[in-house]
Amino acid sequence: MTAAAGSGQRPARPRQSLIVPAGLLAFLVITWLSLSDQFGIGFDLGAIIEDITNGGRILITESDSAAQRGLLVPNWAFLPRTVDPMLETFKMAVVASVVGCTVALPVAFTVSRVTAPNGVVLFLGRTVLSVVRAIPDLLYALMFVAAVGIGPLAGIVALVFFNIGVVAKLLSETVDGVDPGPIEAARAGGGNRTQTVRWAVLPQVLPNYVAYSLYTFELNIRASTVIGIVGAGGIGNLLFTQYRFFNWSNVSIVVVTLFVFVLLIELISIWLRRRLV
Amino acid sequence: MAGAAERPHPPTHAKRNLALLGAALLVGWAAVTVDVDPSEILDLPGGVALLFREMFLDPGPDWSYLPTALEGMIESLQLAWVGTVLGAILSIPLGFVGAKNVSSGGVSNVVRQLLNAIRAFPEVVLAVAIMIPIAGLGPVAGALAIGLHSIGTLGKLTAEVIEGIDPGPVEAARAAGGGSILVQRWGVLPQVLPEIVAFWLYRFEINIRAAAVLGVVGAGGIGFSLQQTISFHRYSLAGTAVIVVVLVTIAVDTVSGWVRRRIIEGAGAKRVDADAIAHPELAEVVTGPVERP
Repeated sequence: MTAAAGSGQRPARPRQSLIVPAGLLAFLVITWLSLSDQFGIGFDLGAIIEDITNGGRILITESDSAAQRGLLVPNWAFLPRTVDPMLETFKMAVVASVVGCTVALPVAFTVSRVTAPNGVVLFLGRTVLSVVRAIPDLLYALMFVAAVGIGPLAGIVALVFFNIGVVAKLLSETVDGVDPGPIEAARAGGGNRTQTVRWAVLPQVLPNYVAYSLYTFELNIRASTVIGIVGAGGIGNLLFTQYRFFNWSNVSIVVVTLFVFVLLIELISIWLRRRLV
Repeated sequence: MAGAAERPHPPTHAKRNLALLGAALLVGWAAVTVDVDPSEILDLPGGVALLFREMFLDPGPDWSYLPTALEGMIESLQLAWVGTVLGAILSIPLGFVGAKNVSSGGVSNVVRQLLNAIRAFPEVVLAVAIMIPIAGLGPVAGALAIGLHSIGTLGKLTAEVIEGIDPGPVEAARAAGGGSILVQRWGVLPQVLPEIVAFWLYRFEINIRAAAVLGVVGAGGIGFSLQQTISFHRYSLAGTAVIVVVLVTIAVDTVSGWVRRRIIEGAGAKRVDADAIAHPELAEVVTGPVERP
């Protein structure tokens, strides 16, 4: 059935790229290795389903003693004890956000292609920043607790580093994309580097900077709930103490407090962002 | 007072100044009442310098610990991977149902709120409060915690991407007689898949950081080594472990970032802001709306 008279042949099919099958194969191999008992974490779906059905009982155990009740039987009498640590968490997040975002501002201008003083500083700055970003919040907290002892200071410093990583990265990328016109104008007008950044770049990125700072504050609220686990102050500490004694009904109260608090902060932050940005 | 006699008043900044004053008061209150001694702050640089020296310079990292640290980090990578895959698989149906243009407004609202609620809990809290009681100590609990948290973030991003699609192909699929599943498969999925896969990879990068510390609470990975070595003052060993965490994280970030850019550019997804793909949180922060990662 050769239908078309003129051209005769069907056009050749476009060659299938090998990238998609190769990617799929890589995905399957990595997933299989990761799941396997021998090479990976030993992920067994059957066992997990069994655990969930058994574990379900742990969650709903009723008892007269608060210490033996399950997670879904919260001990409401514990609620007042969460107030002070939660407040401490909030204060830590506030202080860390202010310090972190302030430090991140000059750092961002140092690691942006547009405003870096020279190539060497740019390269070094980027390298240091990617190391700063590669360390998770809880690891910072572990190290600072070891360095300065248990308490909120270690937590605040840990959050500050975490914030510098986030804000400097986001802001430097925004600076990379600014309109070069004002920069040229400032240079032509005889401005030095600081003046150029101050009058030609900063006004362009200020709204983004404010938005990133608010976003970081939200991140901090959630991060600061965790870093207490290693002794860096705040509600994480309370959570972990109750967890270590398997006081599930108290754990659930801490979790509920956390949840309400995080949602509340987020609502406020959204409202602020709408008004500011 | 003939017409143009008076100069216009400068606009008032009273409201803005009041807000700034309020913010300053809040910060001042937090700084003063938070339980930190000024003397502690003075000790901070010395303490940090001492720790840094012991971990990285003198005596510095103990390389005999390298195999243990690498083994822990590989377990972290694996549990991050499994968690991301779990989250990705489960977030697809939730993302579709959560998109207003696929499901009805009421259903999508409920799903979005559910996703918000999941995201409010950090992985470590999910591990401690839910997954360790259920699955016991170990990497499986960590993977489940990461998976659950990732459902929240990936589901939300998926729903948002789906809401931004071009309606043309959907209409075409419908006009050709496609049933509702077929319309999603051929009208929606091809449009959104590159972006969604890029989000998965981005999430994997974030999850590695979470997986590196989940061991602190006993949920598997290198976090256990970090916690043990640091709290028993074995700083040479801790130094090795920290170096492993940093180098492996940067290496995976680099590879994953390259693959993400390849996926997005290869797909020719011009309407997507490249920055937003590099950092999904950027899209969310700049456009202002609703949520966290």
